[in-house]
Amino acid sequence: MEALSDNALMAKVRDGDPEKLGLLYERYKRSLLGFFIGLIREREVAEDLVQNTFMRILKYKHLFRADGDFRTWLFHIARNVKNDHYRKNKIIHENVEKWEEQIKDKTDSLASWQSEEEHRMLALALDKLPEEKREIILLSKYQEKKYKEIGEILGCSEGTVKVKVFRALQELKEVYRLVEKNM
Amino acid sequence: MDHNKIQELISKYNEGVAEPSDVLQLEKLIADGVVELTQLHELAALDGGIDRVVSPTPSQETDRAFYKMLKARKKNRLKAIRFGGVADSLFSRWIAVSFLLVIGFMVGQVFQKQTEKSEVKVLADEVTSLKEMMMISLLENESATDRLKAVSLSEEIKGPSQKVTEALFKTLNEDPSVNVRLAALEALRGYSKSPAVREGLVKSIARQQSPLVQVALAELMAALQEKSSVKELKKVLEQKQTPKEVKQRIKESINVLI
Repeated sequence: MEALSDNALMAKVRDGDPEKLGLLYERYKRSLLGFFIGLIREREVAEDLVQNTFMRILKYKHLFRADGDFRTWLFHIARNVKNDHYRKNKIIHENVEKWEEQIKDKTDSLASWQSEEEHRMLALALDKLPEEKREIILLSKYQEKKYKEIGEILGCSEGTVKVKVFRALQELKEVYRLVEKNM
Repeated sequence: MDHNKIQELISKYNEGVAEPSDVLQLEKLIADGVVELTQLHELAALDGGIDRVVSPTPSQETDRAFYKMLKARKKNRLKAIRFGGVADSLFSRWIAVSFLLVIGFMVGQVFQKQTEKSEVKVLADEVTSLKEMMMISLLENESATDRLKAVSLSEEIKGPSQKVTEALFKTLNEDPSVNVRLAALEALRGYSKSPAVREGLVKSIARQQSPLVQVALAELMAALQEKSSVKELKKVLEQKQTPKEVKQRIKESINVLI
């Protein structure tokens, strides 16, 4: 039997079949957790935010438009959940100069889940990027390079997203080299 | 910029010899969609590497919390659903309830054989919840007959929820039809073991204008030996508009209570 598309499932959730959200949860729980851990670097908090994201989906299910892309909507909500978490906990955006200190304090980063050395170094380098750049790279990963959709999430054009990804990758390249040198 | 110059720029970047001004030019070409990130080999490789970075799996605790939340939402949704008074939707609701009752019965039979009582209980709860939902939605209908049906439906619900008793009290106190009010009173009589229901009945005395309901309430108070109702009943006696016959019946009830 052919699996229902994300949009078809979400449309069912919206139209009164909340149980279908379980399938969407199974499809996206890892991506969302990866996204939150990549940004927040605290697994426990990230797991809570995954839960909050799905709760919010249920709350605002009536706003889902089947002609849009579910994944884009999901990450749009996830981003809002993350921002609300920051607001609630009075977390201000990171000071770029202090990222190294922050990394030392938090060991729950994406890097700690990587078994292969190369992946671990890459995740570590990603952890060391300022949040804005980390976020664009994570969105690019989890939105499967759909820059137009990422633009919808961030409220900017496709071209701007591409430039942001370009700049972020450039910085990642530099940081990766440093990480490689110090390993 | 012509094709050759663009290729030259890309090559410079890929060879790591691009000047800051070249990078700026490249940014503009990327923004315009002329150059794709995949053409910049080192960045593309890095990007590919990021894609292969493994995403962690949520803990079982998070999974459990999610499904618990989903179950709770489903239950709330069933309770919260309100229907309009449209006849066909009413019909479809009856069909749905009947279907669920049949399914419930069938599943109940199977489950009984398997002695999985807890599952049956969940199903029974859902059926009760549906009945409550039906009743509450029927009470909102314009037709007095439908509202009467709703009240009689409440009698089928064992151990009614607060929502059901609240709906019945709302009917008793506010329904425009005396017959519906009387039916609601009769239904509430069945739950009069509950102190909250008895208290609600006493409070309702002051809200009644219909002599029939006033008398029925007074008689119920006497039958229940609800002495706290005497004060409210006396207030009805003091009202000028209360008919003489009603006053007489209320006095009789008060005499029983004192």
